[in-house]
Amino acid sequence: MISLVRTEFVKAAVRMRSLVIAALLVGLPTLIVVAINARGRRVNNDNGEGLFRLAQQSGLLIPAAVLSAMSGFLLVVVAGTLAGDSVASDATWGNLRYVLMRPVPRGRLLVAKAIVAGVLIWTCTVLVALAALVAGIVLFGSHSVVVPALPGLSGGFVLGTATLLGRVAIATLYVAFGYTALLAIGTLFTTLTDTATAAVGATIGVYIVSEILDSISQLGTIRYGFPTHYMGAWQSMFTDNHYSSDMVVGIVVQLAYLVVFGTAAIIRFRTMDIRS
Amino acid sequence: MATSESVVVVDGLWKQFGDVSAVEDLSFSVAQGQVCGLLGPNGAGKTTTLRVLMGLERPSRGNTRVFGHLVGPSAPVLARAGAMVEAAAFVPHLSGMRNLQLWWEAGGSRWRDADVDGALGVAGLGDAVHRKVRTYSQGMKQRLGFARLLLGRPELLVLDEPTNGLDPGEIREIRELIGRLTSGGATVLLSSHHLSEVEQVCTHLVVMNRGRLVRSGTVTEVIGSSGSVYVEVDEPARALDVLAHVPGVAGVQPQGDGLLVDLRNGRRSDVAAALVGAGLRLETIMATQRLEDAFLELLEEGNGDTRPARVAS
Repeated sequence: MISLVRTEFVKAAVRMRSLVIAALLVGLPTLIVVAINARGRRVNNDNGEGLFRLAQQSGLLIPAAVLSAMSGFLLVVVAGTLAGDSVASDATWGNLRYVLMRPVPRGRLLVAKAIVAGVLIWTCTVLVALAALVAGIVLFGSHSVVVPALPGLSGGFVLGTATLLGRVAIATLYVAFGYTALLAIGTLFTTLTDTATAAVGATIGVYIVSEILDSISQLGTIRYGFPTHYMGAWQSMFTDNHYSSDMVVGIVVQLAYLVVFGTAAIIRFRTMDIRS
Repeated sequence: MATSESVVVVDGLWKQFGDVSAVEDLSFSVAQGQVCGLLGPNGAGKTTTLRVLMGLERPSRGNTRVFGHLVGPSAPVLARAGAMVEAAAFVPHLSGMRNLQLWWEAGGSRWRDADVDGALGVAGLGDAVHRKVRTYSQGMKQRLGFARLLLGRPELLVLDEPTNGLDPGEIREIRELIGRLTSGGATVLLSSHHLSEVEQVCTHLVVMNRGRLVRSGTVTEVIGSSGSVYVEVDEPARALDVLAHVPGVAGVQPQGDGLLVDLRNGRRSDVAAALVGAGLRLETIMATQRLEDAFLELLEEGNGDTRPARVAS
């Protein structure tokens, strides 16, 4: 299993696409932080909303603000690409049949590919947070944050530097874990087609549809089962000074998707004819 | 007939895709050391058969065995086989060498056991093996594919159209390579459209059409099982009379020092028996048609023939 993970990691990580993604995930947070700083200096009384408003007090809160901006789409695209591409890209190259003509257990190969995609998704999320943290500290310093009592914020409390750092770490891990369902769905989709772009597009499409449906409150409790419903639950750590129970539910929902779609993917991959 | 020495046994194999049968009730075997050519027109089911044999596809009915072990996805016995099914394909953004190493290690084997120098010697890619595969020509990929299938010195080689994309010089190299490998004890099963190549390289043939076995046996048996034969006897004039009464002989005409016997409906052994039985001294008897003629004739025959095909001996 270790050798499979290692070989799959080399195939996925050592390619131009990965370098472009890494550059984007470092560059964009840096750009966002610079823009926040420039805007704050030029326009009086326009400090943005929510986390972006608070983040100007301390670079330690910047990662949370950047994650809130990037986790809903850009990181979804990156995670969907990594998950949906894992088997289908090998099939597109025609390399999959050669790997499977070795005595390589198919289930184990798929798990190795999913592990590699998962590790890369986590790495991407951490990269965004770290880039934002470094840029934030450079431009805004590393102070405590006073959360005022404002509309939309429960407010009236102070977040110390140690608390901020700890909660940013938890937020980063929660956001990264929030792509577990996407990983599982993408892993199933990547076994359904030999075209990598189709698998990636379908994976991202599921998330977009989930977000659209989740915004329709008339759907009621059904929305609680959508993979995107609890993705923003971590923000209460900064705006309301408490760990929302929704974070726990969110983790359970992600695990449920992992079990259901992961099992389906393994069954499909073990029994399918390799036609590519 | 499958024997204890059979390296490959395909037994009653069916492969269906929905209502379409790609392979129907196919049975043949390949013995140790044979170079067996799998022949057939496009859509005959050759590649599907090889895919099932290498565990890429599951049979709808029947089974395939390699070295006596049932083959399915991830079967351990696949470690004893090297295969090139359809075009050689690699991870394009990695070097040729890195591709070989990752492929080998994915099977849980140690790189130092791969005999990579021997395999690379065959590929003859030189320093290009360290370049990214996306910069390779089709011929270079095919040669790297040969290097890959030779890693670990497999006992069975399964080759699907191995000379596609190669120039005549490279084709000759591959032919010589196959010769060297079989002299070292390897067994080869290859499909090809290049009939002249098959005729030069193979010891045995399996001819397929529309998913079914049409004929199998040694190259000489398949070529000589129909068509015409050339005979030389001590009294050609009398032989003309004798052969005119042999069942299955469609015509006889002088050619050089001998006679050309049209055997479209008969067997070579009947000709020999008739001549010897008439007291003539039979000096030469040989099939005159090439594999291409026999192949096309067999397909024509197979299209209207509903008899069960013979199993390879």
